[in-house]
Amino acid sequence: MIKRLQATRYVVDQLTDEPIIASLGNAKFDLFTAKDRPQNFYMWNSMGLASSMGLGLAMARPHQKVIILDGDGALLMNLNSLTTAAARMPQNLIHVIWDNRQFELTGGQPTHTAFRADLGLLARGAGFDKVETIEEQAAFENAFSRALQEPGPWIIVALIGSERATGRPPKSPTFIKHRFMQSLGISPL
Amino acid sequence: MTWPQHIIEQLKAYRIRFLSYIPDAIGEQVLKLARQDDFFDILPLAREEEGIGVVAGLYVGGERGAVLMPTAGVGNTVNGLASLAIPYQIPFPLFIGLRGDLGEFNAAQVPMGQALRPILESLRIPYFVLERPDEVDTMVEGALKLTYALELPVALLISTTLAGWKEEK
Repeated sequence: MIKRLQATRYVVDQLTDEPIIASLGNAKFDLFTAKDRPQNFYMWNSMGLASSMGLGLAMARPHQKVIILDGDGALLMNLNSLTTAAARMPQNLIHVIWDNRQFELTGGQPTHTAFRADLGLLARGAGFDKVETIEEQAAFENAFSRALQEPGPWIIVALIGSERATGRPPKSPTFIKHRFMQSLGISPL
Repeated sequence: MTWPQHIIEQLKAYRIRFLSYIPDAIGEQVLKLARQDDFFDILPLAREEEGIGVVAGLYVGGERGAVLMPTAGVGNTVNGLASLAIPYQIPFPLFIGLRGDLGEFNAAQVPMGQALRPILESLRIPYFVLERPDEVDTMVEGALKLTYALELPVALLISTTLAGWKEEK
């Protein structure tokens, strides 16, 4: 089983200035712990919308890889975002889904991946063809490095264990937004 | 110019290139023109709330977007507006084709039609109702100016008075 924090550390260590959209909850907590950087966009709510926001960002910045760090519960709440992204197929998009088969922050209630749902199959059904479902750190590292090098879009479903994240990123939404935009060289539009 | 042409011209004047939408008969009158214009990049959504995420991603990535949806879809976007667009201050025009209002044939459209304005008001999202063809240009320009000045979403409600209602009785 993959450890989310260890895998997140690998992700940020491979990047230079590529932006990351981090879903609410543990995905963004561990991203902050791994490395707080201005190119991290921390979502404090809006469950499910990391995938949609990452799609918009990938459309705006076609010459740069864009990474989404998502969770199984969040993606299941906005599953149609997969079919929308697949209608577009942005080559620069890397969508990582940490799948621990539970709503970890609210007490470990099962998500549907604890039953019969398979996010990798759902992504294929949505229309993606570069889809990896991975259980080990070494395989995750290979898949993510490849996704950074080769055209996507890539869907990486990382099966992780349950480990509560302790990191707490900046809380001001406008601070997060302005710092992020500034890091991409963008003034308010 | 027709009212959809005025909207198209104002979107171009404000460099709003990306249009995300859930279709309805009213918004389609705008999209039909946008599809014939190379300036625009159009993304079909599957559910309206996605549009709030997409336009937020576009904006922080340096591009402006608009979202088009029917009245019913606004109910699907409330959390995206309340928890992403408003606190993170993401400006964009939200074009809403009015249903459940003047000339409605379908009772199942009416409660959402009646809830629409109170929902926008409770979120403190400024909205403007497009009713007269000769006002569309000014109102759309004013709304676009406001959204980018305020750095918050602004809604434009396209009425049946302007766009027509369904023939069905």
